[in-house]
Amino acid sequence: MSTTRKRVYGYLAEFKSASALFKAAEKVRDAGVKKWDCYSPYPIHGLDGAMGMKRSILPWFVFFGGITGTITAFTLAYTTQVVIYPTIVQAKPSNIFTVPAFFPVMFELTILFSGFTVLFGLLALIQLPRLNHPLFASRQFHRATDDAFFIAIEARDGSFDTQATKQFLEEIGGDNIELVEEEDQG
Amino acid sequence: MGHHVTSSDIKINGDHLDNSKLVKVKMIAAAIAAIGSLISVYLLFWGPEPEGLKPGENASGVTQGSYAYSWLFAFYFFLTLSIGGCFWTLLHNVSNSGWGTSVRRTFENLGSTYPWMFLFGIPLLCPTVQHYLYEWMNIHRGVGEEPMKEYLHHTDHLLYLKHWYMNIPFWYVRVIFWGVGLSAVIIFLRKLSTNQDTDPNPGTKRLFKARFHSTYTLIIFALTITFTGFDFMMALDYKWFSTMWGVYLFAGSALNSMAVIILVCAWLQSRGHLNKVTTPEHYHIMGKLLFAFTVFWAYIAFSQYFLIWYAGITEETSYFLIRNTGNWNIAMIVLVFGHFVVPFVVLLQAWLKRNPKTLSILAIYTLCMHVLDHYLITIPERGVSLGNIDPKYGEICVSMPGAFWGDILAFVTIGAAFLFFLLRALGQYSLYPNRDPRILESANLSN
Repeated sequence: MSTTRKRVYGYLAEFKSASALFKAAEKVRDAGVKKWDCYSPYPIHGLDGAMGMKRSILPWFVFFGGITGTITAFTLAYTTQVVIYPTIVQAKPSNIFTVPAFFPVMFELTILFSGFTVLFGLLALIQLPRLNHPLFASRQFHRATDDAFFIAIEARDGSFDTQATKQFLEEIGGDNIELVEEEDQG
Repeated sequence: MGHHVTSSDIKINGDHLDNSKLVKVKMIAAAIAAIGSLISVYLLFWGPEPEGLKPGENASGVTQGSYAYSWLFAFYFFLTLSIGGCFWTLLHNVSNSGWGTSVRRTFENLGSTYPWMFLFGIPLLCPTVQHYLYEWMNIHRGVGEEPMKEYLHHTDHLLYLKHWYMNIPFWYVRVIFWGVGLSAVIIFLRKLSTNQDTDPNPGTKRLFKARFHSTYTLIIFALTITFTGFDFMMALDYKWFSTMWGVYLFAGSALNSMAVIILVCAWLQSRGHLNKVTTPEHYHIMGKLLFAFTVFWAYIAFSQYFLIWYAGITEETSYFLIRNTGNWNIAMIVLVFGHFVVPFVVLLQAWLKRNPKTLSILAIYTLCMHVLDHYLITIPERGVSLGNIDPKYGEICVSMPGAFWGDILAFVTIGAAFLFFLLRALGQYSLYPNRDPRILESANLSN
């Protein structure tokens, strides 16, 4: 018989509607909770504001990713077309002023590098892919992809307290409050 | 945040501009436009002509010929802004948009200046002015007794082949259609929208009507921006052609009319109008459109350059040869960086687009670049064409010294008129469609 140790992930509370979730999110935000999240079957306009989320750093990654693409393409085209093997077409010069011919390549690599930075930067920031999530242990959580709206406050948050957090979730209108425990094979 | 705006926040009789405070500005603008127009008419028809030039000398100063180009430049510059107002109105209707209902009246007001701005093109209908601008018309008019097509067939094969499009009667028919067609469209759409302001039972019928009629009239808009560009600007050199020309002018037009719309909205809000219904969210969207069209303009402008540079066909390269000669080259390089690189990098910031003040500064900057763009479209042709068209203008030259005073005069004249008609339109009706079924959706916008 294996021994199973359980670790508390946090509290999961259900809300009746998107607007109830929205209003509850504002209250959680104002209570100063840091480690928490909302779960809904569809995107809700303005929820990021209600949750007090800061702007992502991703655009800056993408900006520098794009610049890297531009420089790479220019270096590639310039080195091959001007330095190593000058290609003369219709008596056009093969020097720095040939740059319009490089623009399509520069444009494409800018887009490509930006695209890669978006994809991989996003995956790194949201820590995907992952095989499991502690909330999957909850029996009701699958309804987050169907008709239910949830807020989960994690135990990692500094203000977490078994009694007080539960009471807080009740106060802001949460139903079916559940203490989610993640299974930790030990 | 302007969230949770309800019908109690919407003024039942609309939000009206206090006309009495604007009388002075309007009077000054109208006076400048009237005096400028009188001087312009004098210059265009009875203006000084260069005299007694020695061989090898060029004409200089403001002359009848040089002023024709100044007028064309100023006329077309402000026409693009008005056409853009029509474009945004039509696009808003046809795309079934809800976001911009609270700023739609500004689109319509800007578009409604189109009929007036087109009237400033009347001098261009006169053969005396056309003489200096359109060489092909001079050739057509100089045919005499011989049948036109036969004459062209023998002398200028290019004009012979283009005769079905480039002939004087058809040119007049087209130009009148561009003036009347789009004017009718924008007057109709604006009336449909403003009638709603006083309707006690507005309903949704006008919404659907505007959407339906904006579909096919969008074609009239597309033809107008493309072919006014062909008939007024591309025809300056009948040998030159570019398939990107219409799109290129459209890109600049849509971009800069959005800049004007942003400025008008910011100005109205600074005077306490558009309260509750226009929020940073609207500026954010308009800023995004400004950004999108900055990129679109660059894409089209570069594509045009690239196609011509790559192909290296004599008829096509003349455009860039003229504009890359002498100091025009510096201006062209400034255009690349000033019209694209700088606004592209700056407009990437989101906070900047949400703040009416910072966005207004960028809108003014964009408009300055649009002036440079249109200056480079029209004016470099002057020195080359005038020497070619009229022997009394001396040799072909890169630019005519002193002729830029005329450019400033024409720009100020038509600009003052544009300001007058825009202010007049703003003062006529409520500043936002207060009884539109989508006004609350728009006021509570979040993006």
